[in-house]
Amino acid sequence: MIRALRQLAIVLGLALLPALVSGALQLQWNSEAPSKKDEVTIAMVHNNWHDKVLWVDARSRAKFDHAHIPGAVLLNEDEWNSLTSAFSDAYDPDVPVVVYCDGGSCDASHAIADRLRQEFKLQQVYVLKGGWSAWPGK
Amino acid sequence: MRFLRLLPLLAVLFTFAATKAQAQLKWDHPLQQFHRVPEDKEIYAHYTFKNIGTTPVTIKTLRSSCGCTTAHLDKKTYAPNETGEVVVHFIFGDRKGWYRKSVAVTTDDKAAEPVTIGLNIEIRDPVTLTPALVFWKTGEPVAAKSVQFSADPAQPVRIKSVTSYNPRLTAKLDTVKAGEQYTISLTPADTAQKESAEISVQTDFPADAPRAYVIHARIK
Repeated sequence: MIRALRQLAIVLGLALLPALVSGALQLQWNSEAPSKKDEVTIAMVHNNWHDKVLWVDARSRAKFDHAHIPGAVLLNEDEWNSLTSAFSDAYDPDVPVVVYCDGGSCDASHAIADRLRQEFKLQQVYVLKGGWSAWPGK
Repeated sequence: MRFLRLLPLLAVLFTFAATKAQAQLKWDHPLQQFHRVPEDKEIYAHYTFKNIGTTPVTIKTLRSSCGCTTAHLDKKTYAPNETGEVVVHFIFGDRKGWYRKSVAVTTDDKAAEPVTIGLNIEIRDPVTLTPALVFWKTGEPVAAKSVQFSADPAQPVRIKSVTSYNPRLTAKLDTVKAGEQYTISLTPADTAQKESAEISVQTDFPADAPRAYVIHARIK
């Protein structure tokens, strides 16, 4: 009986090790720190730039019309050609650009940020980690 | 050492769990690759599958990775050996370059992980125009700034005209290599005040509906 319990403890111990590793990775994933080099958080926007950034909303027009970060300009790939003129008007070379989309799993913000860097040759372009979901004022 | 006697039992348990977790739907080509041009505007990709299990399978959800992609299914429940098809519709909008669009398929088999079907697609534009935004700060010395127009040598594209819609921001075209490389120089009359101009670059490609590209010029 004691041997059986000991064997059970060994098996549970072996199962616990990967579970702990997985849990640690999960905690790291959910932390507030940016997980990609070009990502920033709301706190970084506040602390580094005193909230003076040009917000770019990479979501659909319908979602933008429903609600968006105050002062944000709409720029998505559905209507890129017709929206870049308004973006060019709003762009200030002295102010960083921060792009956001729906949330953690969307890739539209990264796509827009890449195009602004490649096609517009802009340097200070960042992506908001967590996207619209991370915005406290929504 | 008696612990080793448990290993066969554990192996059987893991094998059972893995078998149970396998989806009963077998997909023919879950990941597909396409090459298109912007004028195609959209694509319909077809994903066929077969229920290779012994019980009916009901597809519960089709969740796409982007609002530009939708998935359609004729019906939800498939009997053993029955085949079906998911049609994924991707609207290009103004996208260009490489994209990966995916759809997560979940079934009523709770033990099965969602299956991801998707497409890798290149929306190919032979032209690059950089930078597409040129700006001067007010009071900055008046100097020309250049934009490079490059076309893939495999697909020559010629510029037919360059037009500025603001006479205070002029555009000059220089041909470096016809069909492949051009330089467009933009010069403001002065930088004393804020100005805005859209410069249209009209090409001869494609022949049936030639594209025009836009350069945004601003004095900030």
